[in-house]
Amino acid sequence: MQSSKWRVITRAGAAVVVLGIAPVSVALAAGEEPGSIEGSSIPPSKVIAERPLYRPPPLTGQGDEARKNAKAFVTWAGESVSLEQEAGRKVLREAAKNPEIVKALTEEALEAQRNGDTSRGLVALGLLGEMRTYDGAKFLVEFVRMPLPREGTYIEGELQEEALQAMLQAKAVAGLAYMRSADFDREVLYQAGKHPSVIVRAEAISAYLWNQGDSLEARKLLSSYVRPEERLFLDRVRRVAGEGAETFNKKLALYLEAHPELKAPKPEPKEPRPPEEKPYIFDENPPEF
Amino acid sequence: MNLKQGITLMSSLLVLGLGAEAGAVCVQTGASQADRDLWNTHGCWQDYFLWQYRAYGLRSGDWSGRGWNDACNVSLEFPKHWNASYLVNYGLEDDWWQSFHGTVDYRATAEAASSRYHDSLYHSITDRTDVFGTFTPRFWPWDTDRVQTACPLYNPAATNSNPGSRAGDYMHEGWHAYFDKYNFNNGSVGGHRPGPQGACTINGCDYFYFHGIGEYAFGAMWENDGTANRFHSPNQVQVEFLCDVADQPQWWIPNSVRQSAAADANRRAVSRFINGPGYSCGSPRPW
Repeated sequence: MQSSKWRVITRAGAAVVVLGIAPVSVALAAGEEPGSIEGSSIPPSKVIAERPLYRPPPLTGQGDEARKNAKAFVTWAGESVSLEQEAGRKVLREAAKNPEIVKALTEEALEAQRNGDTSRGLVALGLLGEMRTYDGAKFLVEFVRMPLPREGTYIEGELQEEALQAMLQAKAVAGLAYMRSADFDREVLYQAGKHPSVIVRAEAISAYLWNQGDSLEARKLLSSYVRPEERLFLDRVRRVAGEGAETFNKKLALYLEAHPELKAPKPEPKEPRPPEEKPYIFDENPPEF
Repeated sequence: MNLKQGITLMSSLLVLGLGAEAGAVCVQTGASQADRDLWNTHGCWQDYFLWQYRAYGLRSGDWSGRGWNDACNVSLEFPKHWNASYLVNYGLEDDWWQSFHGTVDYRATAEAASSRYHDSLYHSITDRTDVFGTFTPRFWPWDTDRVQTACPLYNPAATNSNPGSRAGDYMHEGWHAYFDKYNFNNGSVGGHRPGPQGACTINGCDYFYFHGIGEYAFGAMWENDGTANRFHSPNQVQVEFLCDVADQPQWWIPNSVRQSAAADANRRAVSRFINGPGYSCGSPRPW
């Protein structure tokens, strides 16, 4: 009995010591700086200034050369900035005459999808859409029609593999809408109502309307394809790069006026918690860019 | 148990604890194109990461084996963490007539310091694969709130492994801290409402509190009047940040970063809100 008591006391003592040491070790560890032997002291403004602008790599060739050049072009397009978009589009217009390049870009898109690099996949699919070729668009149709994965990792009830593919398919459907041709518009209209993912349906609706100049005719035609419960998407507010408060706020006001049901309920209060005792203060400015 | 046995037991516990910490990491085989493209704009800026770890309250023990001592290896978690915060610090244009909110808002939401946006917090990391991130409020008044980001923001083949989405999660978790500071209840499912319901297709839904551009001065995103007229939800703050990265970035932000941010914003906008989809953003032109 006594021995048992002692075991309890010594174990409790050990736990106290361990628990006592743990925060101390964390506190000590918190003081340690991160590091690297490769760190640079050059500010990004200088790094950025050294990157030459408006120099897209060639998008030409046949066979292996076409594949190599397509790979390099997707890499360039990803790191390029908006100022360079016209330079890139010019190269794409020229390359659109070369079916080997179109094929090589489709392979880049599929490889990015297989590797799970959504950011690269979005770039490759965007380039294919921008090219506006029949072969490229045919590939985009096949891509949009690929069945969605049914198994994998769920986060908050969302299957990640499915979401990944749907995000890429949404980019593909935007490319189809950008073709602005009756044949491919039919596919966009179909996907606006029938695609199993709301991510793709929503993009099909938005891209179709944008490419048709948000005309009333386009809206009317599209409304016969859109699911009844998703008719709200026809009115959804879109903000594009460079759009200012004046036009955006007008659109938003009209949208909210037409749909008073969108008004969210009043936020719910909860029991207050005790104020923090030792606020962390850190007011040091970040280094100059 | 004698003293020697006690010391042995404690040592074992400590070694086991540290071993488990060092051994468990996310996939460290590479980085997405968007991460690499943003990285190339700074080329591993030491002055910044030496500032960043303090601004985000990082603790070396949490990040050991994850690039704490290899801070220029973009395949690892700590470099990816600071690559994303670099986007928050420097990547936005801050045009009051075009941006939803300003850098000052997004920084205060993401960073550790106690502010009008939240009480003090610190950023840590978890190996979980079933969440993007978590917010854990302090248990004791002398403790600190914790934001954890998880492997789906770091594994190179994960959907959200790009700087915009990762930083977007800093906004999301930081806004849970905001709810705790101002005593709002956003629901019982990890700080969200159960779903699917309404237009929300997942299990973890929010409301969207629509507001125009310019309605909040920069530095005023924290304001609320206790009603739906002036309020934000965690997913909304995340979407607005992602839209600002997509549409209102600094000129030098790579296209891959912008396009990934737009894709994530649009995916969230149509799947996470009960009262209809949030704004759509990003260019509808393919490239």
